Amino acid sequence: MTNPLLSVRDLKVSFPSETGTVDAVRGISFDLKAGRTLGIVGESGSGKSVTSLAIMGLLDENVRISGSITFDGQELLGKSDKQLSAIRGNGLAMIFQDPLSSLTPVFSIGDQLIEALTVHRKLSKRAAWARAVELLETVGLPNPERRMKSFPHEFSGGMRQRVVIAIAMANKPKLIIADEPTTALDVTIQAQILDLIAKAQSETGAAVIMITHDMGVVAKTADDVLVMYAGRPVEKAPVHELFHRTRMPYSIGLLGAIPRVDKAEKQPLVPVKGNPPLLINLPDACPFASRCPIAIDACHTREPDLVDVGNEKMGEHHAACIRSHEITDGGLIDGRRVFPLPDVSERALAGVPREDRPVTLEVRNMTKTFPLMKGAFLKRKLGEVHAIRGISFDIREGETMAIVGESGCGKTTTLLQIMDLVEQVDGDILIGGTSVADVRGGHAERTLRRDIQIVFQDPMGALDPRMTVADIIAEPLRAIGTKKAESETRVDELMDLVGLDPSHSNRFPSAFSGGQRQRIGIARALATNPKVVVLDEPVSALDVSIQAGVINLLDELKAKLGLSYLFVAHDLSVVRHIADRVAVMYLGAFVEQGSVNEIFEDPQHPYTQALLSAIPIPDPDIERTRERIVLTGDLASATDQSGGCSFASRCQLFKVLPPEDQARCLGEVPPLTGPENHRNACHFR
Amino acid sequence: MIVVATNLTYFLAWGFLDPRNNYVGRRPPLSEDQVVQLLQPRNLSDTVSLLERWWNWFSGVIFRWDWGVSPVGQSVNDQVAYRMWVSAELVLGATILATVLGIALGVYTASRQYKIADRIGQATSIITMNINIVVAALGIVLLAIGFNNMVGTTVFFVTGSASPDVTGFFPIIIDALQHLILPTVALVIIGYAGTHFLQRSLLLDNINADYVRTARAKGLTKGQAIRKHALRTSLIPVATQVAFTIPTVFMGAILTESIFGWNGMGRYFLETIAKNDIHGTVAIAAFGAVLTAIGALLADIAVVVLDPRVRVS
Repeated sequence: MTNPLLSVRDLKVSFPSETGTVDAVRGISFDLKAGRTLGIVGESGSGKSVTSLAIMGLLDENVRISGSITFDGQELLGKSDKQLSAIRGNGLAMIFQDPLSSLTPVFSIGDQLIEALTVHRKLSKRAAWARAVELLETVGLPNPERRMKSFPHEFSGGMRQRVVIAIAMANKPKLIIADEPTTALDVTIQAQILDLIAKAQSETGAAVIMITHDMGVVAKTADDVLVMYAGRPVEKAPVHELFHRTRMPYSIGLLGAIPRVDKAEKQPLVPVKGNPPLLINLPDACPFASRCPIAIDACHTREPDLVDVGNEKMGEHHAACIRSHEITDGGLIDGRRVFPLPDVSERALAGVPREDRPVTLEVRNMTKTFPLMKGAFLKRKLGEVHAIRGISFDIREGETMAIVGESGCGKTTTLLQIMDLVEQVDGDILIGGTSVADVRGGHAERTLRRDIQIVFQDPMGALDPRMTVADIIAEPLRAIGTKKAESETRVDELMDLVGLDPSHSNRFPSAFSGGQRQRIGIARALATNPKVVVLDEPVSALDVSIQAGVINLLDELKAKLGLSYLFVAHDLSVVRHIADRVAVMYLGAFVEQGSVNEIFEDPQHPYTQALLSAIPIPDPDIERTRERIVLTGDLASATDQSGGCSFASRCQLFKVLPPEDQARCLGEVPPLTGPENHRNACHFR
Repeated sequence: MIVVATNLTYFLAWGFLDPRNNYVGRRPPLSEDQVVQLLQPRNLSDTVSLLERWWNWFSGVIFRWDWGVSPVGQSVNDQVAYRMWVSAELVLGATILATVLGIALGVYTASRQYKIADRIGQATSIITMNINIVVAALGIVLLAIGFNNMVGTTVFFVTGSASPDVTGFFPIIIDALQHLILPTVALVIIGYAGTHFLQRSLLLDNINADYVRTARAKGLTKGQAIRKHALRTSLIPVATQVAFTIPTVFMGAILTESIFGWNGMGRYFLETIAKNDIHGTVAIAAFGAVLTAIGALLADIAVVVLDPRVRVS
């Protein structure tokens, strides 16, 4: 038995806040051996990032840490900043969440990389430069020599994360801590980065702590998993054991709340009700008890310890639940589900075939170009950015249409074009049969706007913090001239509809949690009884257990009110769950369009195939055996005006085509062809 | 811009100042003819039309770099040329010292936010910022005189910018320093606090940035990470601000100059207005405009030096 590389014992972290001492981490212990990967999963505020920063010694000085962290035979707690800095970046490296802000904007990539090298060892300028170039090459940056002199703002998010990984790899560390390394990135880039971290691990033989909220990422990368809740580990097991023989209700809830990209059946997601507790003066009780459907009185009397519930055959398995021995595989207790399935409300329009339903939103050949200017005083037009190149779709009553694609593909621009009611040069936008070209004057515009409303991505930023919830929800009503008494009853009605307590309507948004705020945003959008609701990434800022509740709400509202949704998301699992029809967008054009099952079961376009294969599936058996297509490179520039297929530069199919077919890809723009419920834009599919 | 501003000042000065007033109340009173005879050769008589006066003055500036003479016949060129250096000697040293001190204190206190050193530093700066320059200067003069008496020789001179009868390179430098120290100290004491507060708050905005954490994760100590990564980005607004204060400090050290008996630009500014010296006033306005332009240029240079992204684009 070799000694563990990192050994954490009873780590506790607390820091002062205005409302009292926050116990962010309340006793966590684990061992990590060289070459192994530990996944730490949990929702925001569960203490996973604080744990990693405590190991790195990067917490503020006013934080109280107790326990023990032994790394490579040395005790890290109690070392001074200077002593720690000799270890940090040398034996111990870290990859941060947001690549956009984790590089200093005023230093070149090369300088920052060389600094990481020279701070730990004496190197000549030339040797450091050579090693830095080598590192950039290892992480897969094209033209590393030239890139050395570039500044961070010239790079895309994925490329910057590669640089951060290069910095982490610089001194061949023994332990790499990755704190949500792919959360801010697109799925295709996420797949590249995860592969890169695996490569860095195999090259340096390092141990990795992978901190994430994404069960799919854990299933793909981790050997052991630690589930954290309210600052404590609640379940700890090898990855297969955890996914297949889950014993703690919270972990079961977390797994049940995730929509699956590989499953077609539309049963509602199982949300975990309520919110995580505040970590101030926690009572001696199971912190999950208030949200747990199988809580018994004993749960409220004492906080359960993390005890071994494994057997000899399957190895160690720890869970912190007094009823864990009653829970059997598949999240069942006494033969019933721990989390009962919520009721499905029957769709009013389920029986009506698509063709017979009225069209609520129709977009014909929408285009949008931005001029590209240069010069400070006299602006010259250099060219055009084709943000949207002629897309068409229609949405019928009670239907959800999803647009998916990487960031920068034109999803949001499409939404803005619709919401701004922009008159199209050679196309049209029809809302409930009215063309935006016919809308003249403020009154007509306001009438039309009643039919189309939007819900934004960031529930924190989209609500005015100085307006009460009642004011926020009533604002659209006031705009269309509803009387005060009428709007008040409507507000109560709406709050009830989205699952909020109407008596809370005089509170301010800051009193609500993220999921509740998104519900307020939905209530506001529904105020005018719209026909179409545009949803711009409505759940991407929410935690998994909360996200499930909002998705279910959207499903329910659609069924009850017969709404149509135009749904924009980058998370394909959510799209598969909620959408009826889907369009895959690449560089401003649809490359594949059709019904959701057709496209997810039988993707035709190489881009769709790559996109689907890049999503990690929260099941280690499936995740580790399936073949994946990893796209190379980033999204190409939208300024390209070459007449071919815009995806050809990254296409995996293109590479295996004979030269005469390749010439066709480069010379001829592929049109969307195929039957109504499944069309794709590829010459060879 | 400088040319327009200067010419505008010329007309404004004629609107407010009248050199003729200098001779009002003379005993024996001067006759109208005598006054005109005195002023006309100096291009200051209002018997000539304003346009003609302006052209005489403007052509002199353009063709001969002659900024005219005061009502008593002193050359404005000579005055500005001499006083400019006196002011520069006083103000530049003090500005540089105050800036460096302010930035250093800003960095030191920001790295120790809410600790005892930060609180003491802040309290001191609040006090010094609120001390009037007159009080500060007189206090320093008293201390210096006390010190001189204690050691029995004149270490610090409390008035003037130089002693008249010193020769030789090193003696002149030492003599200049002896005169310079006191007013410089006075200016630094009241001037550094602004930079300190600005630098502290800007640095605090950057100190928790992700890239500072990345730098620490690389193996830099907290202090190194702050000095190298956080300071660079937060210096940009400080540098801009300091560069733009240059004209203000040049012309604004009036009280300091008066107390320590320096004949700098600030005092000249007061004197010209008091003596209805139109040409002097206009020359000072032009000087201020040039300084502002220099300040703006310095600010741009500082930004380019500190932020390589500007260079790239």
